[in-house]
Amino acid sequence: MPERTAPPRLERPSPLSFALLVGAAALVLSSFQGAGFSLAELWAGLPQMARILGEMLPPAHDRWDRVLASLLETFHMALAGTLLGVLFSLPLAVLACRALNPSWPLRAAARALIALFRTVPDLVWALIFVVAVGLGPFAGTLALMVDTMGYAARFFAEAMEEQDKGPQEALAAAGAPRSGLLMAAVLPAALPSMVATSLFCLEKATRGGVVLGLVGAGGMGMELKVAMDLFNYAEAAASILAILLLVVAVEQASAALRRRIIG
Amino acid sequence: MSATLTLAAPLAAPPPGPDDLRIEGLVKRFGATEVLRGVRLRVPRGQLCALIGANGAGKSTLLRCLLRLVEPDAGAIEVLGEDARRLRGRALRRLRARVGFVFQRHNLVPRLSALSNVTHGAIARAGALAWHQALAPRALRAEAMRCLEEVGLAPLALRRAEALSGGQSQRVAIARALMQRPEMILADEPVASLDPAAGREVMGLLAGLARQRGITVLFSTHHMEHATAFADRIVALRGGAVAFDCPAAAASPAALERVFA
Repeated sequence: MPERTAPPRLERPSPLSFALLVGAAALVLSSFQGAGFSLAELWAGLPQMARILGEMLPPAHDRWDRVLASLLETFHMALAGTLLGVLFSLPLAVLACRALNPSWPLRAAARALIALFRTVPDLVWALIFVVAVGLGPFAGTLALMVDTMGYAARFFAEAMEEQDKGPQEALAAAGAPRSGLLMAAVLPAALPSMVATSLFCLEKATRGGVVLGLVGAGGMGMELKVAMDLFNYAEAAASILAILLLVVAVEQASAALRRRIIG
Repeated sequence: MSATLTLAAPLAAPPPGPDDLRIEGLVKRFGATEVLRGVRLRVPRGQLCALIGANGAGKSTLLRCLLRLVEPDAGAIEVLGEDARRLRGRALRRLRARVGFVFQRHNLVPRLSALSNVTHGAIARAGALAWHQALAPRALRAEAMRCLEEVGLAPLALRRAEALSGGQSQRVAIARALMQRPEMILADEPVASLDPAAGREVMGLLAGLARQRGITVLFSTHHMEHATAFADRIVALRGGAVAFDCPAAAASPAALERVFA
């Protein structure tokens, strides 16, 4: 029996695949060029970075009261924004859910609104609300609420859509109206997923709330910006450390709650 | 198609009353496949009627069409004196509330307690108060507990449905149907997912409660022994049409076997 030769290790790409690969490589290279990426500049900036780091240590400890007050404000903004966002997400998610809303124009409108909330960054919402309601944490809370709605409403709608249709059919067979299907079958089944999404939203809002201060929407970002603008790197380091502690604490608490609810 | 066997022998107890269910020329197609082809069936009040047939014979589709959980393409359906095909919205929900439906896969809400699942049976008459046992008024909770007692599960009232065994879940589903105070029960292979002992027990429970309350029952099954033991009458579907209709006592094993041939 003649010995069979082994197949080639790699298949030769088709001309189209080869052209696509070359195109993708060119896009990546042009992106680096367009972004002004320069190893030489990075190298030249290293001493400056080392100097800033040196000035950051040790972090300033004489203004902890103000830092903590700003930190608390950030957390309040995140919690209130998330809570409002989750509450308003519920009706929006029901309207966006095919199983619960048979009217496609309403469904399309709800989905478009959710997409708008999600695609516009929270910083842009903060700029809009600062103009609308003035500087301060209220503008930041509204920005976080809208940002949460864009995220939570989409995942709530998906969670509602994915639930087993059996209990819903049983309730429909018992003469339940659509509100009955939602409250008695869909929401209880989707609840763990919705709680997990809400906790993720709280984490996201805590991180988001930190930077909203950069545009005057309250919270920790304001402290950080003032310290950086005044080249007071030790104070900036104190703010960064406080932000780190808050974000890690919220993430840990949220993860523990998620494990308890879903696990 | 096997020979249609319609025996003239009188039905077993109880004596036939006015028809609770009348189906004439019922047709249902899924795409190019005609699943029901002109089904004609009448079930008198208080009768327990078994619907048998091979997989794909159209049993589940027929039962679902009766409450318009599946929309029929042609034919007439009269359920409890109502023209089911003409009803819309609230009127259709009112008719559905008068008919208990027991599904093959119990279809309970897994995260809710057995008691909450039973109160769901009253959702058409009690509205939001039946969404959860904690919201239900005292009388509604007491009635739900009585329904659970009738299926022998009162001690597990607050146990989550997802923690119940298959047989227990199906009993809760029967209790939910009883909570509707039904005049008729439709059961789609209610014991298909249970082991033989649990299946016989659940089937006996369903038949016993229905007889006690004078409820008309149409149930589909693959178990010939359940059809002959619990039903007054056996109707066989084959290829989407009635192929066989006779009193259970008169059904010969050979005729029953031919339905699945």
